[in-house]
Amino acid sequence: MIASIALAALLAVPSTAQGQAAPGAKAVQRLNRAPVSKDVLKVKLPRPQIKVLPNGLTVMVVEQHKLPTVAYSLWIKSGSLDDPKDVPGMAKFAAELLAEGTKARSSQQIASAVDELGATLEGSAAFGSGVSGVNASGLVEDADKLLELMADLVRNATFPADEVEKYKKRQLAELEQMRSNPQFLGRERFYASLYGDAAPARVSATAASIGAATSETLAKFRDERYVPSNAFLGVAGDVTLEKILPMVEKRFGDWKGKAPKAWTPVEFAPSKARVLLVDRPGSVQTEIVAGNLSMKRTNPDFIKLTVANRVLGGGPSARLFLQLREEKGYTYGAYSGFSADLYPGPFSARLAVRNEVTEPALTDLLAEFAKIRKEPIPEPELDDARRALVANYALSLERPSALLNLWMSARYYGLPEDYWDRYAEEVARTTPGQAQEAAKKYVDPDHLQIVLVGDAKIIGALAEKFGPVEVYDVDGKRKAP
Amino acid sequence: MLSTLLSLTLSLASAQNLPKQKLFQHTLDNGLRVVLAPDASAPVFGIAVTYDVGSRNERPGRTGFAHLFEHMMFQGSENVGKGEHFIQVLNNGGGMNGTTNEDRTNYFETLPKNQLDLALFLEADRMRSLNVNQANLDNQRNAVQEERRLGIDNQPYGKSYLEIDNLSYDNFAYKHSVIGSMRDLDDAKLEDVREFFKIYYAPNNAILTLAGDIDPADALERVKKFFGAIPRQPKPDAPFLGEEERIGERRSVVYDPLARLPKLMISWQIPPGNTADNDAIQMLAQTLDGGKSARFYQTLVKDKELATDEDLSPDMRIGPSLLYAMATPRAGVKPEDLEAAIYAILAEVAEKGITAGELAKARRQFRKKTIDQRQTVLSTAMQIGELSIRFGDPELINARFSKLMEVTAEQIQAAAKKYLQANRRTVVLTLPKETKS
Repeated sequence: MIASIALAALLAVPSTAQGQAAPGAKAVQRLNRAPVSKDVLKVKLPRPQIKVLPNGLTVMVVEQHKLPTVAYSLWIKSGSLDDPKDVPGMAKFAAELLAEGTKARSSQQIASAVDELGATLEGSAAFGSGVSGVNASGLVEDADKLLELMADLVRNATFPADEVEKYKKRQLAELEQMRSNPQFLGRERFYASLYGDAAPARVSATAASIGAATSETLAKFRDERYVPSNAFLGVAGDVTLEKILPMVEKRFGDWKGKAPKAWTPVEFAPSKARVLLVDRPGSVQTEIVAGNLSMKRTNPDFIKLTVANRVLGGGPSARLFLQLREEKGYTYGAYSGFSADLYPGPFSARLAVRNEVTEPALTDLLAEFAKIRKEPIPEPELDDARRALVANYALSLERPSALLNLWMSARYYGLPEDYWDRYAEEVARTTPGQAQEAAKKYVDPDHLQIVLVGDAKIIGALAEKFGPVEVYDVDGKRKAP
Repeated sequence: MLSTLLSLTLSLASAQNLPKQKLFQHTLDNGLRVVLAPDASAPVFGIAVTYDVGSRNERPGRTGFAHLFEHMMFQGSENVGKGEHFIQVLNNGGGMNGTTNEDRTNYFETLPKNQLDLALFLEADRMRSLNVNQANLDNQRNAVQEERRLGIDNQPYGKSYLEIDNLSYDNFAYKHSVIGSMRDLDDAKLEDVREFFKIYYAPNNAILTLAGDIDPADALERVKKFFGAIPRQPKPDAPFLGEEERIGERRSVVYDPLARLPKLMISWQIPPGNTADNDAIQMLAQTLDGGKSARFYQTLVKDKELATDEDLSPDMRIGPSLLYAMATPRAGVKPEDLEAAIYAILAEVAEKGITAGELAKARRQFRKKTIDQRQTVLSTAMQIGELSIRFGDPELINARFSKLMEVTAEQIQAAAKKYLQANRRTVVLTLPKETKS
């Protein structure tokens, strides 16, 4: 909605500042006069109730009775990682096309049935993930009707040829639209730099893969992958397991199928440090993404890096934001983060800066990377980071779907049953040494991939100061040097 | 004291109801309105301080100032250092932000319930004693200019979003953008910041809403302790928002070097928010663009394959408001054909009305949407603040639901007939720059 553009002011402070800055100086300043409760509210996240049906479908229920709604989240443990090599997007196409026709309902009938309930129901499959999802949300009085619709899509989608053709045309136009967005161009080049031509490199479909999808190949993908032993059904909201289970059994109890072969993680050889410049003429900012491979989700370093990243760039009270926005005014926001999956996900920092400060901003970013590796995090700053992560737990109680998501992902990745019960304690126990070790290991200057999306006429020369440069156009094609 | 609290009794909606949020209202001696919305479903609270000032209050030469000022509110006050607001809220597990729109500016936090004093202290200190200096102003000016580049100048269609409002309004109040022009941002002075603070950031020009796991009587005592001594200021004049009667359609073309596809943006001038006619337009948009079975998606995207995406959204401002329609024409589709198809949908509603089935769908979707907006206590606190500043009444958090559920098909048809006319229309067509020749 253009008329209510909410203009967010996200500012930050360095957790290191302890009131030493003189008034009027640019640095943040901590007076510590505000009344802070020293207690961290002890919160235990409600565990889901779990039931596995005889056909292998795992059902997980998180209750929350504040509002008369219910949300379903069906995870199919096959996703974009399982796309055929020449058809990136197959999992996404299949998931998104579930609602375009079943044996009993046309595309329009499905849309009407969902809208008549005031509900939402859609399939999706994110690039880089091994999961396809079908998510639905509605009023609790419609719990059974909505589940029936969802089951119809999952089990009986027919991928009608005319709807597939229409969908493909829409996809091609979307693809064209995405290429005008600098954030998309940055993501595309960054993932390609980390994963080469392996599945996790893909962030979008291609014109060729869109062209290749057919009713038959989509139905085949669905038939092989959408089977009960390859799925979790999460339910969150104003329900109980007792109430919901008979509905689930009725809609999914006779669902059958043999579990498919799981995606086999491959090893990725990290590329040497380099600069990848995406030439986007007319840009008034440079979009910067810089990072490298991190870790798999099951790696015990996960929590240590979570703490270190909270200090480095994990929010508006972290160092990158402080330095690059509050101190220097180079950007509206600078953050770092990492993701971890069945394969090593990326660690990266991201910011957009005006053209003329591209070089000093990048220099400062690299200096922060060096500092978090080299210097132990001062105890008060680390304490802030740990408390921030732990105390934030209370807020998650307001979001049952997000809670359910945590437990579903723990199960998906094979983390211990009590993972989220122990998480806060693990965060609180992280030492400065452990956080620094994690930073050293996962912020990796020797293999740092620096992606710059901007006008090459303006930033081309400075890019060379940061490493060997490869130049690409907005269509993703490498330009001759 | 509980005896000073006024408990509101609210009329329930028709058969399809909404969980009612109980409210306690009180006004402090200095004019600060306080609304308490207890909800103990999770051990957290949300607080919003919403000020009666937005970009509508800006004067020519100072566009973007209300929003720039919002950034300054995080730069420190007598007892809170520069940026300390952030550090204290985030490092104690909370979330926070501030936002500015045409009509109001809000500041909000959500925290575990044991940090209520912290939030009240931080909000009260900056309302009482904002501390500004040149270095902070220069720094935040840079940050805001980067915000503008990020959201507008470096994005396809960014300038078109500003152009549709610019062309839709004659009155400066809503004609200019919230983000402001680069030149005006360059010109903002420290004296402007101080003056703006004095005029608009007074307790009697704000409303404090607190929702969540609180005891109303105890919470009110705490609010009084932190805010009670802040002096009131003369109430600023409300800017004139009226528009002249429109006499014809307005059109412009934006050539955008960052766009790869054309884009069509249309607005119609509609009555202010929270009026019967604006409510009818809200339900009209819900009917025509609520979900994939609705006419906009079915006709424009699915059947006729004219657009890759479409959107129909009405706003609800204090003053004259807009209904926006936006769509991206498919490759090979003439923008004028897409435009004509949009008008045809609206003309059909004006002529024949909507069906009972369509209205039932829209009502149910609206009910679900309204319930979802109650999920977090912060969302509840923010909505109460917004509705109070815009339309003067906290109880609208409950009452607006009933009003909208009672809008009839006849009212929707009448509103379509009356307002969706060419003379109230503004059309901005964006073309990729290469196509200019």
